[in-house]
Amino acid sequence: MQQFQKRMHNTLITIAGLVLMTFSAFAFASPEGKPSFAPDVPHPTNGSTECVEPEDEMKKNHMNYILDQRDKTMHQGIRTKQYSLKECINCHVPKDSTARFGDDQHFCSSCHNFAGVSIDCFQCHMDRPMDKKAGYKKTLGKNPHGAQISKPVSSGIASTSTDATSTKGSKQ
Amino acid sequence: MSCKDVNISRRDFVSKSATAAAALSIAPGVFLHTVAEAKPADQAVTSDVRWGMLIDTAKCASGCTACVSACNTENGIASHNRPRTDQQWIRKVTLRDKQTKHEISLPMMCQHCESPPCVDVCPTGASMKRADGIVLVDRHICIGCRYCMMACPYKARSFAHETVDLTVDYVPRGKGTVESCTMCVHRVDEGGTPACVEACSEAEHGAMIFGDIKNPESEISKQLVEHGGKQIRADLGLNTGVRYRGI
Repeated sequence: MQQFQKRMHNTLITIAGLVLMTFSAFAFASPEGKPSFAPDVPHPTNGSTECVEPEDEMKKNHMNYILDQRDKTMHQGIRTKQYSLKECINCHVPKDSTARFGDDQHFCSSCHNFAGVSIDCFQCHMDRPMDKKAGYKKTLGKNPHGAQISKPVSSGIASTSTDATSTKGSKQ
Repeated sequence: MSCKDVNISRRDFVSKSATAAAALSIAPGVFLHTVAEAKPADQAVTSDVRWGMLIDTAKCASGCTACVSACNTENGIASHNRPRTDQQWIRKVTLRDKQTKHEISLPMMCQHCESPPCVDVCPTGASMKRADGIVLVDRHICIGCRYCMMACPYKARSFAHETVDLTVDYVPRGKGTVESCTMCVHRVDEGGTPACVEACSEAEHGAMIFGDIKNPESEISKQLVEHGGKQIRADLGLNTGVRYRGI
């Protein structure tokens, strides 16, 4: 009998706990319906309200889109912008942002920190839009392949007086 | 991945054959011209083209490192002041004949072999050759074992020992992986020319020509037909995509 009472007591506590949790979830909910403990994910910088796929789909499956695109780009040279990680960053991280991956203000880590999901994308990829002035300028621009501008060469091989070994490599 | 590349569906085969036949039936010249255009971003690279380079050592000036600097700027390669282990995608090499004292200078980089030893030895499939002949490292699956570096007869690959401070977003690079010349694949895919070739042209040497060696109408093919182009270590039978004149 005593054992039965103890069991009933435990059950009641469990039920009370569940009821309390349900109410507390409502209590934390903000007017938009988002729980207040959820992270503030930065909005796109271009003012757009729609992502490349519906928001719910992106929340659940963004990694699959990015993974699929990754292999297509790497192995097949398909460079469409829709599901590219570079475009995620270009759209969601402001150009002048000082937030880096790992900070709560960064688009990716705002959610990943909260969910406790670690990713290694940004060990190699840039976590912010690139400075457009970086890289070597395209002097020939978009040209038919191999349109190398042939210019007459004034001199042959420049002679050097260095007593080099038979083979040497120089580094920049 | 490899299965996907190799297996071509019947539908694909029929449609591609039909396109090729249609293009050929217009005029050979028209067909060849369309191949030289940049491919649309949503289409996969094909083995209809093979990218290659021809380097004329007679035009390559001794002491000029325009190609090396351009490569470093384009791909965001920075030195850690440790020359033996710094990343290096292209380097200038001077060859000197001991007997005649005659020196030639040439840029040395990944030779984009048709049968690349680096791909043969890679235990994970990270080292790979695209359908258009460009040899790359898929750093997503590279485990940094450096077998490919040992297998490469051209010493063309480097290992990233340090965290990379990225300056460009089109060449993701990271610590613990192997890297090498990509023939500026990001430029080539959108119809551009590798940075080293542009820099050489800009420096008014014009020692490097880039193009499709499968297209007989391309500048590189014409030059190869006229003057030939030697492979370095031709004895290995790798059929390199980078050829040299004057060696």
